[in-house]
Amino acid sequence: MSRREITRLRTRFSGKSRIIVLAVLALTIVCSYVIYHQDLVISKGLYNVGVSAGAPFIADSRFNIAELECETGYELLERGTIDLYLDGNDIVSSHTERSEYAAGALQQYLEKQELLRVADEYEIDRAFPLRIEVSYIDTEDEDPESAAPAPDTAEIPETAATADKDPVSTPPVEAPDYPAAAPERNIAAASPVALPEPLPAVPAATDDAVRRQLAEFAKNNQLPEFKAEFVSENDIIIPSLMNPPIPLAQVIITFLYVVPVFFISLFFTSSFTEEKVSRKLIVLLSAPVTRLQVIMGKMLPYLAYSIIVIIGVTIVLKGNILLGLAIFIPVMLFIFSIYLMVALTYRTFKDQTFFSVLALSVVTVYLVGPAMFTGVNDLSYISPLTLAVTMYRGETFTVSQYFLATTPLLLVFGQTMFVGTRVFNEEYLMGFRPLHSKIAEAIYLTLDRAHLNLSVLFMGMSLVPLVFMVELASIVFVTNLPVPFMLGFMLIVSVVVEELAKSAGVVILLQNKALPRKRDVLKLAALSALGFMLAEKLLLLMAMSVVSDSMFIQALSGGGWFILPLALHVVSTSVVCLFTARFGTRFYLIAIALGSMIHAIYNVSVMGMLL
Amino acid sequence: MSGFLALLKRELRSITREKTIMFAIIVQFFIASFSSIILVGIMAFYDPSSIGDSTHVHIRAGIVAGSENVEPLLNYLDEGNVRLNIYPDMTAAEESFKRGRIDTIMVVPESRNGIVDMQLIMPELDTKKTVIFMVLDEPLKRYENYLRESQGVDLNYNSTGGKPSTTYEFLYSLIVPILMLFPALIAGSIVIDTISEEFENKTFDTLAAAPVSLGQVIASKMSAAVITAAVQVVMWVGLLRLNNIVIENAGLVILLGVVIAAAISVITAVMALCFKDRERTQFVYSIVLVALIGGSYFLNPSPFGLITRLSAGDPSMGIFQVALYAIPLVVIGLLFMKVSRRLVLSRR
Repeated sequence: MSRREITRLRTRFSGKSRIIVLAVLALTIVCSYVIYHQDLVISKGLYNVGVSAGAPFIADSRFNIAELECETGYELLERGTIDLYLDGNDIVSSHTERSEYAAGALQQYLEKQELLRVADEYEIDRAFPLRIEVSYIDTEDEDPESAAPAPDTAEIPETAATADKDPVSTPPVEAPDYPAAAPERNIAAASPVALPEPLPAVPAATDDAVRRQLAEFAKNNQLPEFKAEFVSENDIIIPSLMNPPIPLAQVIITFLYVVPVFFISLFFTSSFTEEKVSRKLIVLLSAPVTRLQVIMGKMLPYLAYSIIVIIGVTIVLKGNILLGLAIFIPVMLFIFSIYLMVALTYRTFKDQTFFSVLALSVVTVYLVGPAMFTGVNDLSYISPLTLAVTMYRGETFTVSQYFLATTPLLLVFGQTMFVGTRVFNEEYLMGFRPLHSKIAEAIYLTLDRAHLNLSVLFMGMSLVPLVFMVELASIVFVTNLPVPFMLGFMLIVSVVVEELAKSAGVVILLQNKALPRKRDVLKLAALSALGFMLAEKLLLLMAMSVVSDSMFIQALSGGGWFILPLALHVVSTSVVCLFTARFGTRFYLIAIALGSMIHAIYNVSVMGMLL
Repeated sequence: MSGFLALLKRELRSITREKTIMFAIIVQFFIASFSSIILVGIMAFYDPSSIGDSTHVHIRAGIVAGSENVEPLLNYLDEGNVRLNIYPDMTAAEESFKRGRIDTIMVVPESRNGIVDMQLIMPELDTKKTVIFMVLDEPLKRYENYLRESQGVDLNYNSTGGKPSTTYEFLYSLIVPILMLFPALIAGSIVIDTISEEFENKTFDTLAAAPVSLGQVIASKMSAAVITAAVQVVMWVGLLRLNNIVIENAGLVILLGVVIAAAISVITAVMALCFKDRERTQFVYSIVLVALIGGSYFLNPSPFGLITRLSAGDPSMGIFQVALYAIPLVVIGLLFMKVSRRLVLSRR
């Protein structure tokens, strides 16, 4: 099967078309190489600046510079032909919005030049006299609540008391002078005290740190140069050289790995769809191979190419190959499973193209979004990319972090393969129906009629990762709304998605008239809800092992661990299913609205209890 | 002409019926939203004041001071919304820190040859750490400048005022051009898909027998794609306006978006007619696209840059620069009409 696939691909790109492809590819590589070495500048020529004779030199391509006499300069500024006039050392703006931004940009640039000048003219300890050594201590505040509103007034006696209790403590500071009053008085009371421990004498070390950071600072213009071996956070901070960590590197890593895999899987879908349309797949079905073998056989060569790409990228970025594979193989399988679903479901190329683009952007967000918070919040470990960033920083991650990041992806892959083999028949492949009925049909084919209870239970479980991903993606949309609506909208989305997921199996059985008795409807609804909740809690448990202190987790686990949520899920799902059973599938959406309402009321009251 | 219009209507109907356009809009909306999230993230790191001011983050710092020099720092911190507690020694400070009464400890020793080696003790907890760094950034920079000045090093800060430009630049140099050009890229894909579909379903032969010229068939496909792109571009200009993001020179920006969409449609139509199957065409298109985007970087102004400067209201950009892009398009368009028939009928 696989060998056949490779031959097919090879014949596609032979002769002239191979030459064309290679030529275009070479051109692209040359182009990117040149741009990379030219310092990519976005916002080229965005601002028009007039400068007077004695003004400092501006070497920043964001600014179009014109040397102007004082009078003309002010006149053009007035007329709006230029955005700024640099009169000697003074930035003159015209107080329009655009001019203000230009002034901000120019000032930032000039400040940087000043720092570089100072660094150049003076010796290093005069230019950068403040070095800050950062160290971390674990706080043992058991209850996060106690940390929040500790009032200043309670603070002062405490301080004084400790000072008194400690007999070794050096000069009795003006502790009694600390009145429980405004903080300004505290400042006034500040006076030199002898420090208990002498500070480590590390002049050479901090000087080195300054030089290193200065070099870094001088180098980067607009976009920081991309390095895969991230410098982990500085232990010595020089305030004026502090570089804000830009999540750009995360984005670049994702694209380096994910885009080639996407390309390769695009070939897979194309080939799959083409053989589907030309009915070759149907012919294959009559051959003495299983459906799984057909699908895997077609996928295998592309998986192999992807693995080669992953290894290649890891080598180029000087990463650990085994770790790279361990991190990105689940991602690759996940991408392929999305494309397999697309290929199975759609018949026209146009739909495929768009669905692919949508999938690409959702996957990118899923990977990049959380990874932006690498090192900021442990919850970022829901994205495998965070593992990659950690790896490239030369840090380690734990086994449970690895499983939290990769298990959902692997589950989705397994699920898709299973569904794929179930729907792999002529009628489904060749049918031309709207998307929702295609999905409904796939679900119906997936449910095993002989073991209905078990299938529904498992379906409830297996939809959890999917629901979780949809909810994550919806966060992105929600950010467009004004803040007060954000939470409400998120609540609605998550409730509706969950109700849909839980009831889908039962409702589709109803639609196919497979459940004549109300008792069965109720039983299956309860099973589906149980499965969903079990998987949800399992995922939560995994998250808990990684993230210990998060509002998010608290909110999720709030309201009891088992009985209450189970009751809720069973009730809301039963309402949806029974309503649909009574009034017919045409009223499914109304049923969902009803169930969602119950679910939402529960969620709001749980939140209310927490707050 | 009426034949062409009928064809055009058919193409447009198929685009709307298959919900293609809906997918396209969702995708763009998604990308735009996501970029703005990244933007907020960047803003938080770059310019904490923009976020700190609005949310009133307060942190509590414990100070252990060993030097007279510390007075200005305390003032800066106080102005920067940091609540201060002064401790006589480390033990007391650490005690408070461990109980969670203060968020951070700053140990400021006597300066040594003019250098102050400050120690900053931070909580291990990641989220808190970031906030503390955000709030401390400005006061620490001011203190550094104070120390510099006392060493006789002066920084000439030319003027105050001006707004931080990061958001502005990000918006007009990335988000707006992406939104204006993405419809063009989609138009390219639509052209490839509709043309190669005709090849793969072998319907071109049927069309050849119809009372319309093949040129018209292909032109109708391209026009449908360009019209779709135009609708999206206009929509984005309106939506951005609703979000208080004003696109200056809106007419020219839309025109440029449409011109580029048309150019890409012509290029993709040629490719689709040459390769005659979707798989290869889409693949080559993706690479060509990367090459085109890369290559356009060397133009001055590049399409990207021109959209940026037009939409940000740069008075030196106008109809002339847009026309520079429109003229070659007309030329290749006409040439294409001449050769398209030959390409369709040529064998694989």
